Amino acid sequence: MLVFTRRRQEAIRIGDRIEVRVLRVGRDGVRIGITAPPDVPVHREEIYEEIREANRAAVAPQVDLSALAERLRQP
Amino acid sequence: MARSNAALPVPADTPAVSPEVQEGLARNAISFPDGIPGFEACRRFVLLTSDAMAPLQRIESIEGPPAAFLGIDPRLLLEGYRCALTETDLRALGADGDSTLLWFAIISEVDGVLSANLRAPIVINPQRMIGRQVLPDDGLYPIRHVLTTKA
Repeated sequence: MLVFTRRRQEAIRIGDRIEVRVLRVGRDGVRIGITAPPDVPVHREEIYEEIREANRAAVAPQVDLSALAERLRQP
Repeated sequence: MARSNAALPVPADTPAVSPEVQEGLARNAISFPDGIPGFEACRRFVLLTSDAMAPLQRIESIEGPPAAFLGIDPRLLLEGYRCALTETDLRALGADGDSTLLWFAIISEVDGVLSANLRAPIVINPQRMIGRQVLPDDGLYPIRHVLTTKA
């Protein structure tokens, strides 16, 4: 892992299209601004992980399909 | 659109399908350029519907590791459901504001409880046959919107 020390308003560039800038440094957190092209997905890690786990848990669910379908057809 | 019988679950080691069926699947393939989280290697899926399983639908991987998901249009579960799409999402889907998009909330079964993921729906642009899972930064909708507890 590359490790940098950055101060407020200092940035790191990744390639020529991505910039990671330190906007504010607080006691409990750092506010970071990411500038990236639209085709580069940027997510908080925990959100991505949460969805990844949810997806993994959802593969081929044990479901009584006709009963569920029937139930969902009711208004 | 491809159709299937209502049988679920399909075992992961489902025998290989005939070339004709494979060709049909390929014609109906929806490309997922980014895969979906946890299944990043699955880049092509088919959407399967049938009268018997309506309003439920299935999405199945036809490339990479086997993955099959059960889902439903989230707008049928929650009146007024509206998950905002970012510029990035629209661009990835090749969609403009007027495009008709298909929405698919993944249904899961955990400890006997069925729920639908309203937070991160799969969105498909049927005109371009491109899909992606939307990951909103806000927590407006739950990942586990409970549908029903198992009897």
